[in-house]
Amino acid sequence: MPFATGHRDTESQRRLNSLCVSVTLWLVACVAMFLVGALPAYAQTAEPRRVGRVEVDAGGGKLGGADLGSADANLRASDPARRSFRLFSTESRFASAPTFHVRAGFAFNRRIGVEGGLMVSRPDIRTPVSADVEDAPAITVTGRVGQYAIDAGVVVMISELRLGSRTVPFVAAGAGYLRQLHEGQTLVEQGHVYHAGGGVKHWLLTRDRGFISAAGLRADARLYLMSGGIAFEDRARPHAAISGSVFVAF
Amino acid sequence: MKAFTLGVSMALVAVLSQDAHAYLHFTTSGAGQSRVLKWQRTPVRWFAADRGVPGVSASDLQAATARAFATWEAVPAASITFQFAGFTGAEPFDEDNVSVIGFEDHPDMERVLGATGFLIDTITGEIVESDIFFNSAFQWSTAAQGDPTRFDLESVAVHEIGHFLGLGHSALGETEMRPEGGRRVLGSASVMFPVALGRGITHDRELQPDDMAGISDLYPAAGFREQSGVARGRVTRNGAGIVGAHVAAFNPRTGALVAAFTLNNDGEFQIAGLDPGPHLIRVEPLDDADVESFFSRSAGVDIDFLVTFHGRLFVAPRGGAGERLTVAVRPK
Repeated sequence: MPFATGHRDTESQRRLNSLCVSVTLWLVACVAMFLVGALPAYAQTAEPRRVGRVEVDAGGGKLGGADLGSADANLRASDPARRSFRLFSTESRFASAPTFHVRAGFAFNRRIGVEGGLMVSRPDIRTPVSADVEDAPAITVTGRVGQYAIDAGVVVMISELRLGSRTVPFVAAGAGYLRQLHEGQTLVEQGHVYHAGGGVKHWLLTRDRGFISAAGLRADARLYLMSGGIAFEDRARPHAAISGSVFVAF
Repeated sequence: MKAFTLGVSMALVAVLSQDAHAYLHFTTSGAGQSRVLKWQRTPVRWFAADRGVPGVSASDLQAATARAFATWEAVPAASITFQFAGFTGAEPFDEDNVSVIGFEDHPDMERVLGATGFLIDTITGEIVESDIFFNSAFQWSTAAQGDPTRFDLESVAVHEIGHFLGLGHSALGETEMRPEGGRRVLGSASVMFPVALGRGITHDRELQPDDMAGISDLYPAAGFREQSGVARGRVTRNGAGIVGAHVAAFNPRTGALVAAFTLNNDGEFQIAGLDPGPHLIRVEPLDDADVESFFSRSAGVDIDFLVTFHGRLFVAPRGGAGERLTVAVRPK
């Protein structure tokens, strides 16, 4: 029964939501503990002497809004001079929303690495309705979406532009899978996500020995292009995003 | 220019006796149960009357009607087939178990372009015979591009065949009153809107999403229920249900409008055949056509409320029904 199937999705999706939040909190807690424990090493380290081969990070940020497009509810006009008769107009937009993310990366060398991750957000769709032919009061109709972007990409460290001894800018680009779950868990929509951007990494500690080789903070500014999924027009939607995170390298 | 109502003979049919049901389907009630009228044996055989009118020969009538049947038959999500059985000297509306489509002269029916009648099995709801007449008191055309001085026979045939299949009228349209009486259509989004668009206009040769949802709900093809969603809920005023409220679902992705009515005292409605995805829900009173075009006089249709949008997007699932809605409206 289709409805029952949808309900099962609902349960698994709730579990996934809980899991994502749990993983994020766990990673933040672990990183905080390591930082506290590693303070002496940080004090002894002037710059990142060794880049970890594997790195994980977790954090949060904000995903900017994007236009979903305008659409008029049109009737076929009886007047041959008019193509259509407008019943009302709509203009839809994804509102900006907080994001949470987890990422894992692998550095091939000091300059180039790859990474993949999951970004979770719950943006609202806002649809102001206007120009109703029967003078219905203007209203903004809303709905909420659970949005999951799973992507992978390349990170290039630009050591030549380092800011001091421990802060290095980078650029990143990648692509991935977009999964959007409507409020009420009634429908899953899927699409693609592409991103490009950059940021800085600031090493708070580096160590030559031990399981943890480095830890620090990371700031990202990205432009996401989302295609497919919830879309009222056939074009990719640009979303600006900023985020901050804590990373640990092994 | 006068407005002309597309009438439907419903002598054997009570519309409002049904439970809240997707779209407006004809029903019959008996032994405490309501049954949807529909053909249960296909292909449905039909005959064309062997008389034409000035400007439209019998073969023109047959060809235009065949195209209109083919239009309904081509709806991908519906499963219904027809077969032209030949020309006949029989008249429409004879009770002879033969479905006849032809012209009849009814100068007394000055607003009726055409009408459809049924012979039904009141126990099962099966349509046994359905006849259509086009009122030869009007001038007709089958010209490919339409004739601005005449009504397009194929457009009106598509509408009447909707009734022939068991569909009632749709209220997806806007009208204004004429000083001389009657209504002028400003626009419509359904072939099944009860008032014709006007002379020379051929728009109604093409079915709209509302028509396709209605026929697919009545004669669903394999996969229709699994691939489309249903909106259901209530329209209330001060907590009490409203009868006869017109509820339209608008899909901003496709521009499709599909609508239904609240059909019981609890104000319950159900709109089937929605494409999966977000929709806006708009509720309006039934004030763009005569109420009697949709419901019997005794139905108690309530039009004392303001046009209202539901504040949340409704998301039609892929198969099954979405969250149950309650749209609270305010009195005028």
